[in-house]
Amino acid sequence: MISFNQVTKRYPGGHEALSNVSLAIEQGELVFLTGHSGAGKSTLLKLIAAIERPTSGVVSVSGQNVSRLSRRAVPYLRRNIGLVFQDHKLLFDRSVIDNVVLPLDIAGFDRREALKRARAVIDKVGLLNREKANPVSLSGGEQQRLCIARALVSRPALLLADEPTGNLDAGYAADIMAMFRDFHQVGTTLVIATHDERAITALGGRTLHLDHGRIGEVPA
Amino acid sequence: MIGWIRHHKHALGTALHRLRIQAFTTLLTALAMGVAISLPSGLYLGLANLSRVAGELPAQPEISLFLDAGASTEQKQAIAARLKQPDIAQARFIPKDEALATLSASQDLADITAGLTENPLPDAWIVRPQATSRDALVRISDGLRKMPGVAETHLDSQWAERLQAALAIGHTGVWLLAGLFAIALIAISGNAIRAQVLARRDEILVSRLIGATDRHIRRPFLYLGALQGLFGGLAAGGVLAVAGTILREPVEHLAVLYGSTFHLLPPDGAEIAMVLGLTTLFGWLGAWLSVTRSLHQVEATR
Repeated sequence: MISFNQVTKRYPGGHEALSNVSLAIEQGELVFLTGHSGAGKSTLLKLIAAIERPTSGVVSVSGQNVSRLSRRAVPYLRRNIGLVFQDHKLLFDRSVIDNVVLPLDIAGFDRREALKRARAVIDKVGLLNREKANPVSLSGGEQQRLCIARALVSRPALLLADEPTGNLDAGYAADIMAMFRDFHQVGTTLVIATHDERAITALGGRTLHLDHGRIGEVPA
Repeated sequence: MIGWIRHHKHALGTALHRLRIQAFTTLLTALAMGVAISLPSGLYLGLANLSRVAGELPAQPEISLFLDAGASTEQKQAIAARLKQPDIAQARFIPKDEALATLSASQDLADITAGLTENPLPDAWIVRPQATSRDALVRISDGLRKMPGVAETHLDSQWAERLQAALAIGHTGVWLLAGLFAIALIAISGNAIRAQVLARRDEILVSRLIGATDRHIRRPFLYLGALQGLFGGLAAGGVLAVAGTILREPVEHLAVLYGSTFHLLPPDGAEIAMVLGLTTLFGWLGAWLSVTRSLHQVEATR
């Protein structure tokens, strides 16, 4: 589903975040991305979603060459990818449900159908009683779950999560990882960048380790 | 198709919502636009009313043709025949007796005419040619003067021409002003939309990350600009209505002093629709220019 072929990403200023990375991720796989901070985990995820472009090499997703995708085509790629951000990127000028409904509004869903689906996802992440609340009033863990709900509401085939449990205590982190396992079991492809060793051992799955922009497979 | 309508409905709803929650800013922008638009529209209305005054007067130029006192009957017949030619729209013969009678009827001149022993006035024709251009009039006037039996011709068109020329300048001025204020309108709208785009930076960036197209992001802002332009047009209507109410009485008073029943006419439906349509268009245009530029800025500073 995802393949990197000799991908290098150099940021303006000369910092090389990824060096000559090649990898392949199959449909339905659960992949953890580990490494110290600054090792290039976020960059790798951004290249998959076409948020950044590689300096050289080819990134392809579902057979599409993402590295050469036109600006007009990028939105349609992203509609098939759920993104979970470490800083949540929630909108604080609207309620919980309106945050979740946003991707469906963008995709042009019927409003009633969209609200129905949004409510179902909010229920799944356990926030149904906070549906009308402003995200500001949610705890860190709740905000992270809201971000996950928004990533999943359009039922993407691929979910990319950047440090989804980064700022959370162990209890919340375990909850969220359990949710990811459920999605993996229904066939979603997941790529999760994380430090959380316990989660990796609990969920199993493949682990890719990044070290100063170079990639290596960690034997299970 | 249904999806397209849904997108537009959603964008229009979003735009209306944003205008409502920022009612004060909306009002200020509409006022700025309204004042700007009311200048050319007001001038246009003023000129339209002035043209009406000019239209009520005999703006058609006339040639007065005075016959020589000693003109023979044949010469008079030749002149009468010449004035039946197709380049003359209308010609009216005024015998000298009738001219004197008209003169005597006027209060101030009665004493003078009473003292005359014989009629000093010549027979005359009042000629209205088909052509209205100055060159054609001069040519006809000169031709008539050269005919035997004609003492003098007098081309009576100067004041009408001057008035028409002044009105023409006024109309050019209206278009000039309208052009300038259209630019002002685009600038006001663009500025207002720029502020909106920057204020909604987070929403734009997040929407992009979850698959919004440029068009989807731009659409509510375009509606916002168009609506803002429409409100500006309505505000201009308000400004002009107030100005018209204030001016009506003094203008009618002045008209009465001139012995006229003239009164100010408001614009008609088509004119109102055109002004509102144009302000909406220019509001939209300003928004388009601004949002296209600002979106690139927002993304560059990500």
